[in-house]
Formats: sequence, structure tokens, C-alpha cells
Amino acid sequence: MDTSNPAVFVNGGLMCIYVGRRIRTVMQVIQSDGGGVTGKSTDGHQLVVKGPQPGFPLTTFVEIIGIADTDRSIRAEIWNNFGNTFDTQSYNQLCQLANGEFKHLFI
Amino acid sequence: MYSGEFDGAAAFSGGGFMPSQATTVPDPSSSFSKNRNVRTLLPMTVKQLSELSSNDESSASIDGADVNTITVVGIVCDMQDKEPQFIFLIDDGTGRIECSRWAHEQMEFNEVNQISKGMYVRVYGHLKAFQDKRSLNAYSLRPIIDFNEITSHFVECIYVQLYNTRLRYSFDEGKSIDQMVLNFLRRPEFLANNNGVHRNVISQQLNLPMDKLMEALESLNENSLVYSIDEFHYKSAVNA
Repeated sequence: MDTSNPAVFVNGGLMCIYVGRRIRTVMQVIQSDGGGVTGKSTDGHQLVVKGPQPGFPLTTFVEIIGIADTDRSIRAEIWNNFGNTFDTQSYNQLCQLANGEFKHLFI
Repeated sequence: MYSGEFDGAAAFSGGGFMPSQATTVPDPSSSFSKNRNVRTLLPMTVKQLSELSSNDESSASIDGADVNTITVVGIVCDMQDKEPQFIFLIDDGTGRIECSRWAHEQMEFNEVNQISKGMYVRVYGHLKAFQDKRSLNAYSLRPIIDFNEITSHFVECIYVQLYNTRLRYSFDEGKSIDQMVLNFLRRPEFLANNNGVHRNVISQQLNLPMDKLMEALESLNENSLVYSIDEFHYKSAVNA
């Protein structure tokens, strides 16, 4: 078992705590161009995701696992399509719990 | 069982997450013996698994609950085909754990063939330990189709931990943690001992996390029901 390289559950508002560290988040894709993919986090912040885009087309909701470059941008390692429907409210609450009272279950 | 509106035990009893109401809390003096009548299915994070209290899986426990079958959700980051054994390395974001799936029948091979690298999967299995290394003996692996299941799994991990550390004791036959600790200290063998009981012993015997135990001891102390002999030892102030 190896717990040395976790990816923390974050929303837009929590990214500032983890700048430079490995994070994971789900966002709704707004736009995709040469500069990267722009999306909306589960708490309504705008995020920019950089890095080589995957070979497959992105669905409405996408999970990004990567390094938080700034409090609003991510350098992606892994892109996971999460489909066209997703419960963002529950995910957002999970991010808050996973960084609050129950942080010890995650990192 | 609960006086509140949400009956967690009833809500989860069909899925087998919690021991049923008919199961009694194990006698504290035998808390480390395996209770074979209780089959638990616990959703867990790999981080939790890495911190289990014992290296021997036959007596592993977490927050007072026996660990039998567990379920994890994560991404397959590596796969090895050593037929009939298939080894998957699952990363759930909190850590990575190796899961072995043995396939002998066509149905089992079909299940394994559905899994590919990079995919999110749900795993059910038994914890096994070999020379300090923990892994899972998986009896079911299936791809995740609805990604809300990922959110749901981690929320369930949080709920089960909350239940085992707080709610179970709060509502268990109307006894609070304070009452449990007081009853423990009023046992004849402890009443007779003027040196008191070390708080680590109380924590271990009652399967209580230290912070919960200290809250109870401070509250009992304030009400003059127990007193502390030194920084770590406590005694009941009242003879039973």
C-alpha cells in the first residue's frame, strides 16, 4: 500500500491551500482552445486547465487530476470524462468535508 | 434505536454496511477476538486501510468495528495478468492498493476482461496481509458507470467513520460515552485499585478514540464522578 502521492479533493475555493500540490477536481467544461480548457468548478469559480489534452472528446463534466499551478489553474496529469450529468452539489460538499473534519481519512 | 429523524441503521441495514441492531457491542475484555457472527461491509479509503490497528488481518479493526469485507473505489493504474490470478493496482486518490482477483470460471474471466487501465472501478474484497504488506483479495470488480458513485462512496466512508466513532455510542441503548466510561471505572477490580486506570487502557478496552475518551473523563471529573490520580490515571469517585 502506498499513500505517498495522494490527490486531494478540491473545489475552486480550496485550491489556494494546495498550490504546488497534487489535487483532483470535477468541473463543467465551458470552452476548449489552444490555451487550455476553461471550466466552472463545483463552487462556481472559473478554472483553467493546461497540459496535453486527451485524445478523446470531453463530456460536459470532467475530472482533472494534476498539480495546482495557481489558485485557479491546474496542470493536468489525468483527464476523466464524468459524463453529461453530475451532481455537483454533493461533490462540492464532499470537497468541504474531505478538507475539514474528515481530512484524516484522505490525506 | 435513534431518537432523531434519520435512522442510519435502518437506511443502511439492507446494504450490510453496519452490524444489525441484533448484534451486541462486543464484551470489551474480548475486543480483539474475531466475532464471526458479525459480517461487516465497510466502505474505506486506502488511507484508512493503511492505518488499521493490526498487522494481522484476522483481528483488524477500525473505530471499534471488525474489518471483514471492504469496498473501495478508484482508478486502475496498473494491471498484471498472471492467470488465474489478475492483479490490479487501484488508486483512489488517497493511496494505492493492490487487488488480486482469481478467475477460474468463464463468468469470472468475463468480469476481469471488462476492466482496463485508467478506468474507475468498484472493488469488493477481503483484506489480507503478508509480511507487513496489505492488499485486497477481490471477489468482485466492476467498472463505474455513473460517476456520482465516486462521490457517494467517499461520503459513505465519512458516514461510517462518524457512525462508528460517535453515533453508535451516543444512541446505543441510551448509554452515552460518559456512562460507558463510568461503568467501566466502577468495575470491582478498578474500584479496589487505588492507583486508578491508565487512560490508554480505558481507550483500548472500550474501543474509544482518545479525544472522545478525554471529553468524557473531563465531563465526569467536573461532575465529581471520577477523579484523576495523576496525568494519566483515573478512578471512580463513587463506589458502585
